[in-house]
Amino acid sequence: MSIPIYTYDAVVVGAGLAGCAAARELQNAGKKVAVITKLHPLRSHSGAAQGGVNAAFSDKDSVELHEFDTVKGSDYLADQDAVEFMCSKAPETIRWAERMGAAFSRTADGKIAQRPFGGQSSPRACYAKDRTGLTLLQTIYEQAHRAGVKFWDEWYAADIIYKDGKVSGVVAFNIRDMQTVIFNAKSVMFATGGYARAYKINSNAHANTGDGLSIVARHGLPLEDMEFVQFHPSGLSGNGVLISEAARGEGGRLFNSKGERFMERYAPNAMELASRDVVSRAILNEIREGRGVGPRKDAVYIDVTHLGKDLIMERLPELRDLAITFLGLDMIKEPILISATAHYSMGGIPVNIAGNVRKNNDELVEGFYAAGECACVSVHGANRLGANSVLEALLFGRFVGKTMVSEIDNIELRKATPEDAQRALDEMQFILENNGSETITGLREELQQCMTANAGAFRTKETLQVAIDKVKELHKRFKNIRINDKSKVFNTELQEAIEFGHMLDYSAFIVESAIARNESRGAHYREDYESRDDENFLKHTMAYMDENGDITLDYMKVVLGKHELKARNY
Amino acid sequence: MEHTITTQKVNFKVFRFNADEDYLPYYENYDMEVTSEEVVLDILNRIKWDHDGSFSYRRSCRHGICGACAIKVNGRATLACKESMNTMVEFFGNELTIEPLSIKRAVKDMIIDKGDFWEKHDAVKPYLISDVDEHPEHEHLVTPEEAEELNEADLCIQCGACHYACPVVEINEDFFGPAAFAKAYRFEADVRDDAHVQRLEALHQEKQGVWDCVKCMECAEVCPKDVDPISKITKLHNMLFKEGVATSNVATRHAVGFKHSIVKNGVLDEGGLVLYSEGPSIVKHIPVAFKMFTKGKIVPPWGITKSENLDEIQKLVKSSSTAKF
Repeated sequence: MSIPIYTYDAVVVGAGLAGCAAARELQNAGKKVAVITKLHPLRSHSGAAQGGVNAAFSDKDSVELHEFDTVKGSDYLADQDAVEFMCSKAPETIRWAERMGAAFSRTADGKIAQRPFGGQSSPRACYAKDRTGLTLLQTIYEQAHRAGVKFWDEWYAADIIYKDGKVSGVVAFNIRDMQTVIFNAKSVMFATGGYARAYKINSNAHANTGDGLSIVARHGLPLEDMEFVQFHPSGLSGNGVLISEAARGEGGRLFNSKGERFMERYAPNAMELASRDVVSRAILNEIREGRGVGPRKDAVYIDVTHLGKDLIMERLPELRDLAITFLGLDMIKEPILISATAHYSMGGIPVNIAGNVRKNNDELVEGFYAAGECACVSVHGANRLGANSVLEALLFGRFVGKTMVSEIDNIELRKATPEDAQRALDEMQFILENNGSETITGLREELQQCMTANAGAFRTKETLQVAIDKVKELHKRFKNIRINDKSKVFNTELQEAIEFGHMLDYSAFIVESAIARNESRGAHYREDYESRDDENFLKHTMAYMDENGDITLDYMKVVLGKHELKARNY
Repeated sequence: MEHTITTQKVNFKVFRFNADEDYLPYYENYDMEVTSEEVVLDILNRIKWDHDGSFSYRRSCRHGICGACAIKVNGRATLACKESMNTMVEFFGNELTIEPLSIKRAVKDMIIDKGDFWEKHDAVKPYLISDVDEHPEHEHLVTPEEAEELNEADLCIQCGACHYACPVVEINEDFFGPAAFAKAYRFEADVRDDAHVQRLEALHQEKQGVWDCVKCMECAEVCPKDVDPISKITKLHNMLFKEGVATSNVATRHAVGFKHSIVKNGVLDEGGLVLYSEGPSIVKHIPVAFKMFTKGKIVPPWGITKSENLDEIQKLVKSSSTAKF
């Protein structure tokens, strides 16, 4: 098969908020840019964000408070220079989105409305009913489209071209017919989203298989802070589909089987609006101590009935709809069943504030950038605050696009050759032709069950060792797979197999990083090391994978600043 | 109330086709125990994961917000991840036929070529037309009432359910279709948009524009997000008059003639309406009109009885008219 080589100034992988925002900057600066997405841009998971996006612009709020809440929420693992940058640019970013057409909910005097969210000192989450991400994704896609950005939708980015500390393109195939193409470019940006689909109960889209992370890791580049996976307190019982924090922000209350408002025992001041990791562990603890509710006793109640029909229909209509569809319960009339669900990836591809991908603690990769959930700047540290993710994706996506514009002219295009596609072609050929006995469905089920049980919201050395062994075992068994579908048209089984390979690789990073971090910080909670250990672990994990799939760990300094280390109570 | 999970047996007859390998599509049968917690997408997943890995469909978010997984169940367009199996069984019983949104566009199983859908979407200038301040210090002020003018059109997720349920799309390849109209309305209704007339002109054109809608309500019926595209089409009709974009054609004359008839008689003079809209080309309707007349189906213009409450009706028309004809 001959491999066409297309030449671009910039290639962006992923068309959610970060990818579209970067592409628009590049296009408006006159650069030739291609955006590759395995979905249609409007299907990107940014659109699923519900509750809001933070910007400190009300009279009672300040950028400094937003910084403080973010740093405290992060359990002091966030880099404070990055947090300062994000919080100070947040008001402009949100207003910019509004200027482009985002349909925010409004106050009586016509300003963007804001609501309270967990872990925040002031109502700061700007919202569009309970579909904030949807209006933002539509808006940034629409304006990128208006600017003339070329989108390659339903194309699967399979590999990067990385040699001698420099990235010079992407290898991708058309999902429709498996035609493989090299996108040769001066600069490449990854905006490929998060990795919570490694867990059985998760809130993520089917597409969130974290492909971008392991594509990078397979070239020996590091992944940062992978042990930090956020468990959101309110996923629907059974399937983990998200019920936004807006439900608690608007006044929702949590109850166990005894009718106790149990948050009184875990976070007496903030109650239901404590930080996400705190509320999630409280819920899971109630359940494992036998105070769960529902047919499987695997949930607690969230009750918003006291808000009344009008307010629920005005501010939470989508959430009500979800509970009716999946549980048959109407939150206007009755409490609904929720439990913690794997939701967000704090870790990812390490980048500096400008978005350049790190080769190691001291060096950067030339021509390679990342933003959004797949990247680790780090603005979220060990635990992300609600309504900061959409902000990060839009804001850093845009500014990384600007970085690319400013650096592109100083990068020389390294010409690609057809051999650059070989790794990707080998991977596809192996999956198509291997005639083993394992199924992807079976292996994936085992991985997800194991990660939820052993590398979830509660962890110990023992459970993590079980997970490490399981991941290694699955790696071996993956070599013995067989898929049914041998056709070249929309071979979604082949795609699921490639995606599973990625899930396996980055799961190894999650568990190996977690077992070495002998402390509890933010979302990483070790029952055998229950407190935070700043002396030994106030540092970022930098993990590398060698060619045998073995992980080695290094650590990187946290950038501290004016917000001094304190105990974290809510 | 104690929440319980129930199960029932369902037979699925599933459309299968691979454009590269199959000359004709065929249907495969699957019997399954289905729980009350499951949605249609869970069934698609189980077919792929437990029965045949080659079974293909689009899906992503699995909670009704990305719009990827629209298909047809027993001929009715639906979003697979948002349609509970209980509802499906309640509607159609225990025999369910799963098909793509448009069989003639099928590429593989549930996956169709949606090229026409996106082409129409792009044709209505689906973006806010306004000079974007890249570094604003303030947002535009938009009152809650002005924001409500979008009437949930911004909730459209481009799933295509209405587009492929629309009978006009089926027979008229130029027709933009209900989703594109809802999208156009979303910007037309936005006080921040600067390009009203520019966008409306395309919507006024015959064949592609809003006047070719036959008002069958199918789009409103199938929309999984209750966007109600037909109501947006009606609003666009009014906007075309209001903004002075509407020019005289058979459809606009139909609208104008309708109003005139009501103002004049308080009831609809159907013969007069046809004459008004069609003008001289009414001759082509003479054979049908003659038959209808002999069977007593239409009343000649001179035989119309005026409504007893004509005064009141005229007042109502006057007070409710927003557009000048």
